[in-house]
Amino acid sequence: MGVIGKVISGGFGKVIVRQKASEVIELGELLVSETPSKKLILQVYDLLYGSQLSQQNLELVSGLKLEENSDLELMDFSMRNYPLALLKGVLEIQVIPKMPKTLPIFFSDVRRLEEKDIPFFSSPKNPVFLGNLRSGTKTLNIEVCLPGDKALTHHILISAQTGKGKSNLAKVLLYKATKDANAGFLVLDPHDEYFGRHEDGLKNLKKTMYFSPSNPPPGSRQLILSLNTIKPSHLEGAMYLSDPQWQAIAAYSRAYKEDWVESLILEKELKVLFNEATINVVKRKLMQLLDIRIIEGKLVTKGIFSTSGGNSTVRDIVNEIENAKTVIIDTSSFSKNLEVLIGSIISSEIFKKYKRYKQSGQLKDKPAISIVIEEAPRVLGKDVLEKGSNIFSTIAREGRKFKIGLIAITQLPSLIPRDILANMNTKIILGTEMANERAALIASAAQDLTSDDRTIASLDTGEAIVTSSFLKMAVPIKIPLFKPVEESNQKINYPGLK
Amino acid sequence: MKFAHIADCHLGGWREPKLQQLNLSAFMAAINNCLTEKVEFLLISGDLFNTSLPPIDILKEVVTGLKKIKDNKIRVYAIAGSHDYSPSGKTMLDVLENAGLLINVAKAVPVENKLQLEFTKDEKTGILFAGLPGRKGMLDKSYYAALDRESLKVKGTKIFLFHTAISEYKPKEYENMESMASSFLPEGFDYYAGGHVHEPLIVKQSGWLVMPGPLFPNNFAELEKLVHGSMVICEILESKFVPKLIKIPLVDIYKINMDCNEKSSEHVTGELLAALDETEGKIVLIRLHGTLASGKVTDIDFPSIYKKAQNSFFIMRNTSKLHSKDFEEIKVKIGSVDEVEKRIIEEHDSKTHLFENEKDIVRKLLMILSKEKAEGETKSAYEDRILEEFTNSITF
Repeated sequence: MGVIGKVISGGFGKVIVRQKASEVIELGELLVSETPSKKLILQVYDLLYGSQLSQQNLELVSGLKLEENSDLELMDFSMRNYPLALLKGVLEIQVIPKMPKTLPIFFSDVRRLEEKDIPFFSSPKNPVFLGNLRSGTKTLNIEVCLPGDKALTHHILISAQTGKGKSNLAKVLLYKATKDANAGFLVLDPHDEYFGRHEDGLKNLKKTMYFSPSNPPPGSRQLILSLNTIKPSHLEGAMYLSDPQWQAIAAYSRAYKEDWVESLILEKELKVLFNEATINVVKRKLMQLLDIRIIEGKLVTKGIFSTSGGNSTVRDIVNEIENAKTVIIDTSSFSKNLEVLIGSIISSEIFKKYKRYKQSGQLKDKPAISIVIEEAPRVLGKDVLEKGSNIFSTIAREGRKFKIGLIAITQLPSLIPRDILANMNTKIILGTEMANERAALIASAAQDLTSDDRTIASLDTGEAIVTSSFLKMAVPIKIPLFKPVEESNQKINYPGLK
Repeated sequence: MKFAHIADCHLGGWREPKLQQLNLSAFMAAINNCLTEKVEFLLISGDLFNTSLPPIDILKEVVTGLKKIKDNKIRVYAIAGSHDYSPSGKTMLDVLENAGLLINVAKAVPVENKLQLEFTKDEKTGILFAGLPGRKGMLDKSYYAALDRESLKVKGTKIFLFHTAISEYKPKEYENMESMASSFLPEGFDYYAGGHVHEPLIVKQSGWLVMPGPLFPNNFAELEKLVHGSMVICEILESKFVPKLIKIPLVDIYKINMDCNEKSSEHVTGELLAALDETEGKIVLIRLHGTLASGKVTDIDFPSIYKKAQNSFFIMRNTSKLHSKDFEEIKVKIGSVDEVEKRIIEEHDSKTHLFENEKDIVRKLLMILSKEKAEGETKSAYEDRILEEFTNSITF
C-alpha cells in the first residue's frame, strides 16, 4: 500500500504527519511507520491545517477571492497547503508487540495499516468476539477477540449513550461467545431483547436458555421460584431495612430455616421478641416485593414466587450456566428491586458453588462465568453501595478469584465507584458525548486514552474503542450489525405415535 | 360431569408378591372409585405397567378391571409412559386398545418437519383428547419441539395427556430428574393430564396442570413419603374444571427412622425391638442411618426384629446409609468408571486381606461380571460362559 504522509515534526505522543495531497487521513485511523527492523503503529487523534503561507497572507488571499476575483487561485495549492495529522504511537512491533518507546524516523513515510501488519490479532483460546478492527471509518477484515477465560473473569464494561449500539454489541458478543467460547453467561434482561422473542436474538442457539415470567415461547421456561429459595442475604440491594428489621429477618431465618419468608409473613412465633411495628414493616415490604397476599390465613402468591413450584429453578439455571450455556432472564416486567433480588438469588448461588469448586480444586475444569447487568449503576452505583454491599459488588471485587466476572452495561460509568471501575479490566467504549462520563472512562482505562477524548465523543453508532489489559493497545473496532445464523434442524422420527 | 385421572400405576413393579398384589388392589380401588363417583371417562397418563411385557397374571387383573368399567360405559383414554415401551416401540396398550378396552390418544402425523396431533373425540361429552407418549431419556421432548401448535387451536373442551416431568414444578426430591419446560405443552387445553413424577401436583395455569402421583407407592422411599397412592377425580361444572386429589388408603404404614450414630449393633437391635409396637396389619418401614460405634450392620439382629413384627403386613428395611466403623464409607474422586473402581479396590485392599493378588482378582471378576449376554445367546449359555470365566480367573 502506498505512502499517505510523512513524519515532519512533533514529539513522543504527538507525532506530526503531513498528509499527501491525493490521500485523506481520518481521525482514529491507524497508520504504520516502518524501518527494516520494526514497525511503529500510530493512531491519528487530531487533524489540523498546515500552510506555507502565513495566516495573514491566507486571510488576505481568501478576502481577495471572496470579495473581488472569484477565479483567483493559489499557485501550487496542494504543495503549499495541506492537512496535518497528529499521531500517537500505539504499538511497536519487532518480534513481539509492545508499547512504543521510540519515535518514528524523522521524515519517514507513513502508510495505512494492513492486515498483515498485526498477525497477533489471531483468535485466542475461548474467543470473545467484539467486532472488526477499524481504522478511522474503514473496517478491516481482522476480528478483534478477547481471551474469554481472562477477559470475562476480569469484568467488562460496556459504556455508551443511548442509540450508540450497546444492545447490538451485547447481542453480538453474547451470540458469538455462546457459540465459540467455553463460558457460561447469566443475562438479566430488563428490556427482553436478547432472546429475540419477536426479533433477531439468541433464540436459535441450542446453548441458550430463556426464562420469562409470562407466556414463554415453546421450549423456554416459565420463571417460577420457590419462596424457599430466598435467603436473607439475597435481599441486600433489593430492600433497604433498618438494623432491627434485618435482625428480625435473621431471627426468622434461624428459627424457620428455608420457610422463614412464609413464617415471617404469617407472623409465626419467635423466641426473641421484636417490636410489632418492626415485624409489620418487614412483612409489608416483603409482601410488596414478592407479590404475596394472605387469604384465609394462607399465603397466596401472585408473582414469580411460588409455594408449589420452582423448587429446581435456581439449581437448573446454575447448572446450565456451569455447562457453558447462556441463560437469559426476562426481567422486563419486574420492578427494579425485584430484578435485583432475582439476580442476587442466582448470582449468589453461582458464587457459592464456584467458591466450593475452588476449595475442592475443581475450579480449573469449570468454564468462566459472566453475569450481564444492564444499567449497572442500579447495583454498582456509588449511592447503592453506600447503603451496603451486594453480591454484584462482591463479584466485582472478588469474582476473578473464582472465575466469575461481570459484563456491566451503562450510560453513566461515572456513577460507579472508582475502585470497581478500575477492576473492570476491559472497557468497550462506544460514542459518549458527556464529558464527565468520558473522563471517568479515560481515567480508569487500561491504556492511556488521554488524547482520545475527542475521538470518543465523535464515535459513530457501532464504532467503539476497546481498552483492555488483554489487548496490546487500545483497539478501535466496528461492531457488525447483529445477524443470527439459522441452525439446521435434523429430521427426527416419532416412534410410539399412531 | 366427572372424570378420573390416574398415572404411574407401575403394575408388576414390586418384586414382593404381597406388595405386587397391593399395587393391583390399588388399581382395582381406582376402578371402583370410578364407578362410585360415576365418572364419564378415565384418563391413564402413562406407566400403567412397569414393563412393556407385563406378566400374564398382572395383565389378567388389568383386563378384568378395564372390562368392569367398560361394562359400566366408562371410556378409558390413555397414553403410554416411558415404562410401557419396549426398546422397539411395542406396548401392551396396543393389545388393550385392540381389545376395545381403552383408546390410545397419542395420535399424530408428521407434516413437513412438524408433528400434527390428531384429536380423539369423546362422543358422549364432546371433549377432545390429544396426547403424547412418554419416552425414556426425555426423547419425547423432540415431539414437543416439533409440535404444530396452530393445528391444535380448535374450539371446544380439550384435554391433553402427557407423561413427562415439568421443570417448573419438579418436587425438591426430583431435582435431578430430566424434565421439560411447561411452555413445551401445547396451549389452549383446559386440563393437562400428566404423569411420570411420583408426587401429586394440582396447579392452575392457563389450564389445570395435574399429576395424580402414583396409584400406589413404588418403592421404600415413596411408601415413606406418600404413604398411600392417589388419583384425581375432576368435576366439570359449567365448563369449569375442579380437580380433587383422592388418596387410596389400603394398608397403614409404620415408620421407624433411626439415627444409629454412636450406637452399637446390639443397642440398635434393642431400640428397634422396643420401637416396634402395634404393627399388626401394617407395612413396617425401618430406615437406619449413621455409623455404628461397634459391630457390623449384619450384626443387627433382624431375624428377632422380624419375629417381633410378624403380624405386620410386610416389613422392609433400608440400611443404605448405615455404616460400620469396620467398613467405613470410602470417598473417591470423580473419574471414569474404571478409575473409580480401581480406587475403591485399592482403598479396600488396605482394610481386608482375604487372599493373595486380591486386587488383580477383584479387577478380573469385575470385568467378567460386567459382560453382557451376547446377541442370540441363550440365558443358560450365558450363565455357563460367565461361570466358566469366573472359575478360570480365580487362582488362590
